[in-house]
Amino acid sequence: MDLQIVFLNFPYFVAIILFSMGTLIVLTQPNLVKKVIGINIMETSIFLFFIAVGNAHGGVPPIFDASAPDVFYVNPLPSVLMLTGIVVSFSVTAFALALIVKLYIYYGTISAPNFMKLK
Amino acid sequence: MDVTISKLPFYCVIIPLIASFCMPVLARWKKEFCAPLATLATAAVFVITLVIGYQVMNNGPLAYHVSGWEPPWGIEILVESLSSLMIMLISGVCLVILVYSFVAVKFELERIITGWYYTAFLLCLSGMTGLVISNDIFNMYVLIEITGISACALVVAKGSRMATEAALKYLLLATIGSGFILFGIGFIYMITGHLNISFIAIELAEVKDTYPILIWTTLSFFVVGFGVKAALFPLHLWLPDAHSSAPSPSSALLSSLVVKVYIISFLKILFIAFGLEIFHETFIRHLIIVLAVIAMLSGSFFAFVQIELKRRLAYSTVAQIGYIFLGIGLGTPWGLAAGMLHILVHAFMKTCLFLCAGAIAYQTGRKQVNEFAGMGYKMPITMGAFTIASFSMVGIPLFGGFISKYGLALGSLEAGIPSIILVIILSGLLNATYYFPIIGQAYFSQDEHEAHGEEHGAKKFQKDQLPISMLAPIVVIALGIIYLGIFPGTALNFINQTIAMLL
Repeated sequence: MDLQIVFLNFPYFVAIILFSMGTLIVLTQPNLVKKVIGINIMETSIFLFFIAVGNAHGGVPPIFDASAPDVFYVNPLPSVLMLTGIVVSFSVTAFALALIVKLYIYYGTISAPNFMKLK
Repeated sequence: MDVTISKLPFYCVIIPLIASFCMPVLARWKKEFCAPLATLATAAVFVITLVIGYQVMNNGPLAYHVSGWEPPWGIEILVESLSSLMIMLISGVCLVILVYSFVAVKFELERIITGWYYTAFLLCLSGMTGLVISNDIFNMYVLIEITGISACALVVAKGSRMATEAALKYLLLATIGSGFILFGIGFIYMITGHLNISFIAIELAEVKDTYPILIWTTLSFFVVGFGVKAALFPLHLWLPDAHSSAPSPSSALLSSLVVKVYIISFLKILFIAFGLEIFHETFIRHLIIVLAVIAMLSGSFFAFVQIELKRRLAYSTVAQIGYIFLGIGLGTPWGLAAGMLHILVHAFMKTCLFLCAGAIAYQTGRKQVNEFAGMGYKMPITMGAFTIASFSMVGIPLFGGFISKYGLALGSLEAGIPSIILVIILSGLLNATYYFPIIGQAYFSQDEHEAHGEEHGAKKFQKDQLPISMLAPIVVIALGIIYLGIFPGTALNFINQTIAMLL
């Protein structure tokens, strides 16, 4: 394997590793707050992935400059999309934490195996 | 084409959205206005969808570019005939459920929650209609999240311990699902540089041989993501809890519509964006068929073991989702048409069954399947509707379920896999084993608690002790099932127009 390709594309590898880690944490951690943190890691990895997709080596920020109209821009669209993604991730986190607080009032614990059984 | 008409699909999304944000304010000021306003908004959407349906049937697909930006960059809303049928279904069933929930919400929820309940309900409606008509995959992702989060809110509205637990489970798994979908969208954007489905289709057809592994990866991400969302069998773990612990109008909405809209968007991505060549070249087709067959059999089997009525209905949904995915996996004109028709039929059947379950709990407080003795005499209209829906579930001719199962059988012959017919029949028989005992009890045995006072064998029909706003929706939906069973032509026309375009 050509090491230089790996090095140039390392954000993709980091994104995949973080995504797997996040998913694993959500599925295996017994602690509900840790599950929520896992979801956040997972979604952050997706944001990283999108922004890496939009990046171009040697590109400048996509702001129009009348004196230099032909410069090489970075693609701004994925970054803008990820703003929406961040808002979604934020609201999911808030909702999940609210539910966890409610469950804590019911059960007195935030450890999932005590009540989240398969039925 | 007229400008006003091309804007109509946009109003389907925006009207419930605005109405939903009015709800919390209205609930503080005048609580009793919430339900009528929600119903009014939904009825308006329903009328608009009827107009759209008429337009699409006569003049072809409607396209609207949001705020005037042209497709490759702007968000495009595209309503072809299948989408128009589905938004009619969504708003119609939502309207029926809303009428039912006038009384049911007061009975099942705390008073302080009602305003928020309607907020979540309308948000869910807006998300679902938007998801079906959107032609932009990132927009689709946002609407998926709106639908998912508001669906969780509908589950947790009951506030009980079980409901909160189920909602958290649903939220966590649904977020994993949408994470997978978003990653898939990222891959697609990386390969093609487009977010509009029509443009992705053009681009992917050119570059698909350059990135074979990436396309495989993307497809598997989408299958997992939409599989979790739509509760395809091994990924269905959240569904039984969420659907059985929610208040009955929410269960009806979740089970009949929310899981289906994800299937529609999956269909769009699979058949329009990726296209038929990729569908046939990769093994995605075989994977979907195998999972669907497992879902059809094991969902029915799990349903058979449950003793709580709503849990039984929830597991039955897992099996029925299998039928729809089978239609997609077969990928032949009849198979696909029958799968889409099954979305329609199952939406009617499951709404009817869940509403009946709610009505029975409202009048008698019974929730277990072995407590139904003599129910047919106490609540003849409700049990009549329940019987119609169960017959349709089993696939008896004259009821809607028969048409879609017959179509699936024809589809499997077209696809050259006749052994699937055996599975369809077996699953139908399993359906019979868990619906018929309930009906048999209701009509042919007597309630032991009440038999003491009366003479032996004296069964008298009584009138259902239900308010008219609960009874009317049940009757309307039951009549809808029979209508689909006898005259499936109109719905099939809508479906076949789109399928002719896809295949």
